[in-house]
Amino acid sequence: MRRFAVAIVDVAPVVREGLSAILSRSATAEVVGCYQSLSELASSPHFQRLDVVLMAVGMWRELESSTSLSGLTVIGIQSALAEEEALRRFAGVVTLYHSAEDVMRIVEEAVQQPQPHNFADHELSDRERDVLILVARGYTNKEIASELNISPHTVISHRKNIVHKTGIRSVAGLTVYAVLNKLIDSEQL
Amino acid sequence: MTKRNKTPYLATFSPEMTLFELVELSPSLLGVLSRLNVRLPFGDVTVAEMCEREGYDATLFLVICSMHADSSFRPSADLLTTDMLAGVTAYLRASHRYYAEYMLPHTEAHLDRILAHCDTLSQSALHSFYNNYSRYIVAHFEEEERSIFALSENPDSVTSADCSIFDMPHAEIDDCSNDIASLVFKNLPESAPTPLRCALLDHIYALRDDLRRHSDIEAYLLRPLVEKLIAQKR
Repeated sequence: MRRFAVAIVDVAPVVREGLSAILSRSATAEVVGCYQSLSELASSPHFQRLDVVLMAVGMWRELESSTSLSGLTVIGIQSALAEEEALRRFAGVVTLYHSAEDVMRIVEEAVQQPQPHNFADHELSDRERDVLILVARGYTNKEIASELNISPHTVISHRKNIVHKTGIRSVAGLTVYAVLNKLIDSEQL
Repeated sequence: MTKRNKTPYLATFSPEMTLFELVELSPSLLGVLSRLNVRLPFGDVTVAEMCEREGYDATLFLVICSMHADSSFRPSADLLTTDMLAGVTAYLRASHRYYAEYMLPHTEAHLDRILAHCDTLSQSALHSFYNNYSRYIVAHFEEEERSIFALSENPDSVTSADCSIFDMPHAEIDDCSNDIASLVFKNLPESAPTPLRCALLDHIYALRDDLRRHSDIEAYLLRPLVEKLIAQKR
């Protein structure tokens, strides 16, 4: 099993650092960063390679409006009473009263759940192919957004779908994928 | 075969086991013995006898074996003594040589055998990706030897601020290992024979897993030892 990359989003440093310490003991999880807000997370260089986000349940309304977390396993961190409607939005919920072992179990169970998005069809959509070709040609997210007349957030969302469907994370690997699948030729590299 | 062990923190291995018993429990440890220059045939030599003969710390040797054999094994603090530092860095340097001189070229040779069955463009794209991956890993090793190992080998100059260099990223290496496996598994043309593909995947996964254990040894053995040293100096 590949290690899953985890980010922790919570305003409280003690929560972020505590969960980070617990998850760092796991052989299957790798904490790539801790953030105070979802916007700080979205601008992180590690964002592209995330598999799991642990975020404060109180931020759930931001989760509703965020397209860029699609395809990720999102787990809630509950530190106060929360509405049932909010808790239902998460693949799992950890509380401040859980033991380290319970936290690990909840995270691992959530990761193993089927994703809400249907990735059974591993064929890239036309738009995802367009994005992949530009990624392989070395364009940045901003340049791709400008070239395809879409927002940078939509580019990020397409890139996440490409990673899920191809199983390839690095730009160099995606470039080889594009060559092997005849999406680009050597002159376009 | 008997399991004579009974040290609580090393649940599987013990100094009284023969090397043959050790390898029989976990064949991947042959790679560990190879990078420590332990040569075949072993005969019935025990771990303790081999360590005494070669000048290795037997506890450290078994900790390293345990970390390679069990990805969730983490040595407890009471097991670690700062006089293990030199042995750990010597092992990690030997590992770097083992990857650079044996595992990476060996995997490349397998890749070349497969690529001979593919079109020129696929050959060039995948070969170039693998070369860049190899170069990245070797450059990462060189940087570690310049910074982390140099620090560990000059403990008098160590301060707590220096420990931040242990946070060098390893995730990119892991991602690229998975990317190569995914490309070979799912995207190489059908002309690439399946038995060669499977043999290559075996090598790629073995390399990936060994590199993971290697970074675990840096994070959970080397780093705590350096931190212990800093605490002693206070």
